[in-house]
Amino acid sequence: MRLTPRNTLIAGAALILLVNAVALTGVYINRSGEPEARMTLSQRELGMPWDWSAAGDNSGLVLGLNWRVNDGHAVENFYADYGYHGGTPEWLDEPRMKALGFDTAPVAEGSEARRRFERTLPREVLLVLELAGPAWHQALQRARANAVRHEAARLANADSKEFAAKAKQAQEALKNEEIRNSRLFAIDAGLDRAALRAKYPDRGRFLILKAKLRPSLATQDRKTRVSGHVSELAVRRINVPHALRPQLEPVLRKPRRNGLDPDANYEATVAVGQRLEPWIEAVSVSR
Amino acid sequence: MNTHLRTPIRSEAQQRADEIAIFRAELARLEGEGVLQLDAAQGEAVRAHHAALLAAFAGAFDIDRNVQAKQLSLGMRVASFLGALALAASVFFLFYQFWGNFGEIAQVVILLGAALGSLVLTIAIQSRDASGYFTKLAGMVAFACFVLNLVMLGQIFNITPTDRALIPWAALAFLLAYTCDLRLLLAAGICCVIAFVAARVGEWGGIYWLHAGERPENFFPVAVLLFAFPQFVDHRRMTGFAAIYRIFGLLCLLVPMLVLGHWGWGSYLADYEGVSTRTIEGGYEVAGFVASALAIWLGARRQWSDTVNTGITFFVIFLYTKFFDWWWEAMPKWLFFFVLGLAAILILLVLKRLRTSGAAGGAP
Repeated sequence: MRLTPRNTLIAGAALILLVNAVALTGVYINRSGEPEARMTLSQRELGMPWDWSAAGDNSGLVLGLNWRVNDGHAVENFYADYGYHGGTPEWLDEPRMKALGFDTAPVAEGSEARRRFERTLPREVLLVLELAGPAWHQALQRARANAVRHEAARLANADSKEFAAKAKQAQEALKNEEIRNSRLFAIDAGLDRAALRAKYPDRGRFLILKAKLRPSLATQDRKTRVSGHVSELAVRRINVPHALRPQLEPVLRKPRRNGLDPDANYEATVAVGQRLEPWIEAVSVSR
Repeated sequence: MNTHLRTPIRSEAQQRADEIAIFRAELARLEGEGVLQLDAAQGEAVRAHHAALLAAFAGAFDIDRNVQAKQLSLGMRVASFLGALALAASVFFLFYQFWGNFGEIAQVVILLGAALGSLVLTIAIQSRDASGYFTKLAGMVAFACFVLNLVMLGQIFNITPTDRALIPWAALAFLLAYTCDLRLLLAAGICCVIAFVAARVGEWGGIYWLHAGERPENFFPVAVLLFAFPQFVDHRRMTGFAAIYRIFGLLCLLVPMLVLGHWGWGSYLADYEGVSTRTIEGGYEVAGFVASALAIWLGARRQWSDTVNTGITFFVIFLYTKFFDWWWEAMPKWLFFFVLGLAAILILLVLKRLRTSGAAGGAP
């Protein structure tokens, strides 16, 4: 075919239309039929990304999915509870990393081999996220125990400002855990979606989403074990449909006096489709 | 395979105009020195023929007829390049500024309309713009609109990011580049191909595609593809296209080598037990010198100035970084820079010799 202007116009227009059709067909397939999962999340799990409100040139509105992992360090580190995007879960052990396709054999061969294991680049896996399940209750219990421990230490050292400050921090962490922190926890990972769904059949409690997983080594009590760092979801931000913006925007755009501002209370029904791509179906705002 | 592509022949017209100017100057000199004297009829015939040719070229291609026009053309090329980038950025920000005010259907219609409309505009401008500068601006905007189209569809409908989007972007860039003789769009298309092939090579190794760049060797296959492509597809009628393919091919080969020469830990070879990072770095340093030298040799042999210049640039970078590693701490600064200067003189002598032997070899 000669590249005359007419031919170029036809070929270019066909390319643009075809690619748009393919993309929109994918969207249609994703949203057709009964969603793979559907759950109601609150402002604890769906928040405006930290860099979004500052993006004055962008008139769109998105919500970031806040999710967490139980990494076993939350008690020791107050700020671990604020880490919303990824971590090294306790459940991600050597057999599971093997099952996810990572070669864990070199780890036993010495320090150089362990370094080689850690330089393995991320792979895509399917991550199971549970809403307000045992993982969250465990985090809550941990925060409560932490608050009790620090309060006891404060009482035992009544004159110490340091102990008083730590007890206050522990109380704040507990309050955050009770009313603010996300209750959505990564609890499992796999490569076979059907097998994961069979294992976690409750579609209103377990989300299966694509995520990136990088091998890592976790050291605890001087013992090094094979693990993995779940770094980010393939779709990190969910667009708020135009029709739902009038309800949500005033709440989201309202300046917050502090982190516990009770005004920002809303819920959103999030569906995940056949291609594991999420979308927001409905929102409700409570004042 | 030897594919002949139908292209505008602006470059050929410009070359012919340049040759006419040179011919006229040399003829005047020969006449002045009494070596050659065309009779009046011959002189008039040549003048009339050249005038007709130049008028036709100027009408069709807006070529530069003299040195001043050439200098202005360079300025216009720079302005159109910067303008094209600025307009492309403007399209992005314009949509971002207002897209939230529309419903999803309107957003899709606007994105699709912008991509199609800018394509139509580019083709319309191309048929009226003999200079090509405005076509370049419009072509870049059309490409930006199409990129924006897919990026925003992904954002509106929360589509999983994929490297497959790079294929249609590359296809449109190549389509516009070959139709309108636009090197900027060719470079954009090549960048998409580089990203796609590197991502795929990484994916074959199990890497998530966005991390393919963390193993610089993923760029080697596309380096070979790009460098070899102009050998199989005839680009003589396209202005500088073959050179752009070769330069990008060499960049995809030599930049990873340069990186791995200092960061052996990033190599696939570091996965193998017994292969130290020092060995990998040393190997890639040597490979970098050899590859740059081969590029200079091949470029000189085939008269590809682009390949020679890229090869020389990287050879000097490899050499100077090696000198820095060896001597920056050990030598007084004056001696270090003196050695650099001597190295430059040595390179000049080698290149001069290469040029002389090339000229001798090319002499009839």
